[in-house]
Amino acid sequence: MAKWGMVIDLDTCTGCQACTTACAMENSRLPGENWQDVLFYHEGKYPNVQLKWLPRPCMHCENPSCVSVCPTRATYKDPEGGFVLIDWNRCIGCKYCQVACPYGVRFYTDEKAVVQPDIRTVFPSEEGRQWDPPWKGPQDDPRRGIGIQPHGVVSKCTFCYHKVSQAPTGVPDLDEDIPELKEYVPACVRVCAPKARFFGDLDHPESRVNKLIADHRGTRLKDETGNKPQVYYLSGGASAAVPSLRAVHQDKA
Amino acid sequence: MKLLETLINRRRFLKATGAVAGAGVVAGGAGVVPGLTTLSHARSPAPSADTTITKNICHQCPARCGIDVYTTGGRVHAIYGTSDHPISNGKLCPKGPLGAYILYDPDRFKGPMKRTNPNKGRDQDPGFVPISWNEALDMVADRLNGLREREESHRFALLYGRGWGASCAGLLGNFGKLYGSPNVAIGHSSMCSDGSIISKKAVDGIGGYNSYDYKNANMLLMFGAGFLEAFRPYNNNMQVWGYIRGVKVPKTRITAVDVHMNTTLAGSDRALLIKPGTDGALALAIAHVILVEGLWEKAFVGDFSDGVNRFIPGETVDPDSFEEKWVKGLVEWWNAELKDRSPRWAVQITTLYERDILATAREFGTTRPAIALYERGAHAHSNGIFNGMAIHTLNALVGSLYAKGGLAYQVGPSYGPLPVNADDYLDDWARTGGWKAQPRIDLKGHPDGYLLANNMMQEIGPNSLQGKPYKLDTIMFYLNNAIWTAPDVKAWEEALKELFVIETSPFPSETAMFADVILPDHTYLERLQDAPTYPFQGWPMTQLRVPAVKPLYDTKYFGDVLIELGKRIKGSMGEYYQALDNTENVIRHLAKGFESDPGDNGVNSFESWKEKGVWYKRVYPYRQIDGEFYEWDGQDHARLMSADEVRGALFKTASGKFEIRSGWLEAHADWIAAKTGRDPSRLMFPIWEEPSHPGGGDLYMVTPKVALHAEGRGANLPVAIANMQPTLGGRNTIYIEINPKTARARGIPDGSRVRISSDLGAIEGYCKYYEGVRPDTLVFPMEHGHWAHGRWAKGRKPGHSGEITVNQSDRITGQCSYYTTKVRIERA
Repeated sequence: MAKWGMVIDLDTCTGCQACTTACAMENSRLPGENWQDVLFYHEGKYPNVQLKWLPRPCMHCENPSCVSVCPTRATYKDPEGGFVLIDWNRCIGCKYCQVACPYGVRFYTDEKAVVQPDIRTVFPSEEGRQWDPPWKGPQDDPRRGIGIQPHGVVSKCTFCYHKVSQAPTGVPDLDEDIPELKEYVPACVRVCAPKARFFGDLDHPESRVNKLIADHRGTRLKDETGNKPQVYYLSGGASAAVPSLRAVHQDKA
Repeated sequence: MKLLETLINRRRFLKATGAVAGAGVVAGGAGVVPGLTTLSHARSPAPSADTTITKNICHQCPARCGIDVYTTGGRVHAIYGTSDHPISNGKLCPKGPLGAYILYDPDRFKGPMKRTNPNKGRDQDPGFVPISWNEALDMVADRLNGLREREESHRFALLYGRGWGASCAGLLGNFGKLYGSPNVAIGHSSMCSDGSIISKKAVDGIGGYNSYDYKNANMLLMFGAGFLEAFRPYNNNMQVWGYIRGVKVPKTRITAVDVHMNTTLAGSDRALLIKPGTDGALALAIAHVILVEGLWEKAFVGDFSDGVNRFIPGETVDPDSFEEKWVKGLVEWWNAELKDRSPRWAVQITTLYERDILATAREFGTTRPAIALYERGAHAHSNGIFNGMAIHTLNALVGSLYAKGGLAYQVGPSYGPLPVNADDYLDDWARTGGWKAQPRIDLKGHPDGYLLANNMMQEIGPNSLQGKPYKLDTIMFYLNNAIWTAPDVKAWEEALKELFVIETSPFPSETAMFADVILPDHTYLERLQDAPTYPFQGWPMTQLRVPAVKPLYDTKYFGDVLIELGKRIKGSMGEYYQALDNTENVIRHLAKGFESDPGDNGVNSFESWKEKGVWYKRVYPYRQIDGEFYEWDGQDHARLMSADEVRGALFKTASGKFEIRSGWLEAHADWIAAKTGRDPSRLMFPIWEEPSHPGGGDLYMVTPKVALHAEGRGANLPVAIANMQPTLGGRNTIYIEINPKTARARGIPDGSRVRISSDLGAIEGYCKYYEGVRPDTLVFPMEHGHWAHGRWAKGRKPGHSGEITVNQSDRITGQCSYYTTKVRIERA
């Protein structure tokens, strides 16, 4: 059985956020509630300033702290594929997982909408969910946190489970440039124009993701937590970078 | 309490979804909390059996990326790049996925409407009432027929923005010719990037946007343009970036020049934060170093007869000692200008460090192939013509024109002819009517206006208002919102109050608020529309939009609106449009050209074009190799071209060379000198001239295009709004970037509300401290400040820069100087 993982090459990531908007489209995300975010930082003094960014999906950890804290076992590690998913039928919206997640990639969206006016009032749901946009996709699987987010539950990146889980068995990588595989590739990976993202089977000895991790010193974010992410970053010191915070100046006039 | 609410909410949810799922899930009687009941009605992943994929072309920037539109159950729910499309190659930029939001925008117009409130203004409700298409088209046609009968047809103007192809904007020229108006149609290029087009025309005689062979270049020197934010084709630029920065050996070196630290500068090897309007000075200093250090491409440029370099700073050179090959006027330029333009000189102008200028020049001069590219940041100033010429001349100095890894010009597609020839349908008025003696409303090509420009859209509002050269009567807009995008928007609002305004956008806009009739277009996912490529790789290519769904509302494709109007014009013009029939007929005739010239992907008919979405041939006809020009002979670039052939196709100047001493400008030296006060002996060279900055303020204001600027609609798309300014912005806020030093000197705290003002007025917004912006410059994305664009756009800050941008244009190129007004900032 595959253990799916993602490799993000920070040397070629352009910070464009196509991953963010493709995910929003594919997963009917509310505006600004980005399962797949890109975080921007800057430091230094004019004219020598560093601007950098970090694309951040759910890490689909091998040892996820969100799973161990969930009181209803709503959030779980799928042994088939290694996805970390949420069963919306079990989730009680206590948000313990949000606190436990070291990466900030879980979303409770019943509060005030990020962008006003609230789009949920424009496309209200008749099914008791948060909204019902005309562009919602056909996939709908609440046991895995897929589809329109209901009220009172937490949601998160599913690694596009609805696509990836349908992939032919035994493939080492899901590469969008291979026409017969593109429909199984997570949205954020599929659209990535500079090809800064790769998706494949971390347990497959021949997978490109393993090769990249090995050859380009793949690193995991906050490895010290012991969560063991299945998302790896490659960084050779280009502008997109894992944030290394220098002292932050708190300038006030 | 919260938990209880949650449970109740969840109960409702389970009841409802259970009902959807059908059999035996939750009985869910009143008061029953269903708890952990298993729900399973997972559906198969897209594309399911009933999912259809149609080919289309993205509408949100000029690039024209091929997209696959996924439709299930009659609803569009996903958009991905088309895998076998040469621009998108299966990928998307962040705007690509927004198409469904545009299609289902709740603020769309639902059908044709007419105005009932005769008063116009920002605070006036137009009082639109629905009318039928027949009534709407008859109303407009009556008006156009009336103007023609009164011999005032020149008072009808049609303004267009993003024209796509032969079936929309391509029809406009014939409409103007048959109807009899010099103002049908006027494009928006002067408010776009004509400063680039015309400064190139001055030296190479072509005058177009370049195609670029980035993949084979080893150095890119970029002035403005926003390569990783906005420069088209953005999606493909990023694909190239991934290759030249991550895969290619050697890695392509990149120096980027701008006024603030953006993602392009951050990702480059060298970021140069230059003073606005001084890019030309940097280019001159680079050229100076290239000559002094003997780094120019001798096979293309030529050399001293004896091979000894005589370019010594500050010293003139005998022109006879140099044998020019494909350039003209190099030594004269050196003597008139360049000999004194050292890096040290440029330091005072640009505020850059001398070491950086020198390093950039040496890298550019020694790394082949190299490309120098520029767009509006560099040339949207009164000295734009010179800035552009100076930068483009760098390409000549390193021999990049038409070279592998260099730049060229775009070739058009093999379209078939239209079914009828407009020249056969000209009546007496069209042929010899009084309209022919009328100047264009924008005074383009007129000695009192802008003799050398291509278009002057920004002048139309003010000119009509003042009746100079005359007042318009009727004005029609296609994908254009000049009343908001032009500088000094107040003048436009006053002008449109006097005119009968026809708007064709599917969406509400500031133009619509002043419109007398709305003839709403389809959105792009509902259209059948052709779109030849914007300058890309040079080789010919054209795409097709295929409707993914039937039009949601009672809308009509603009091309068909035009044809239907034409049919209603009396006389032979009406007959022409009867014969043209409709846009599908037009597109079918265009596609006939592919029968004898099939594309590389086998497209040879209308049907195959519809299926693949694109026709292309990956061969560029010309190539310059080591200073000789070759034409494609069917197998290779092997047929040597004569100097005359080069003049006919590649350097369309009088000399047939790249004219650093511009013969075109020299031919108009008297007019230029009279209008600008420039020295007639120097105005034909790329020279340094201080830009003039109106507005009365002490800070520059630059408003770049950002990656989520979905042309014309970004301000009303919630997902775009939430991600509009990733570098600094909040989820719901765009900030004005201000250097902390600048802010502190004015007592402005980080994040506070500020007022930016010029002689024209003031706008407000929130500022954010940013060390990455020049202390003399304020930067914010051009996006918000709409007052009639839809519910999400309304009132969103910061206000629109156009409200405080002075209408000043480069007298030569006609380029609207968007980035040159100086403003003040204070706490609001």
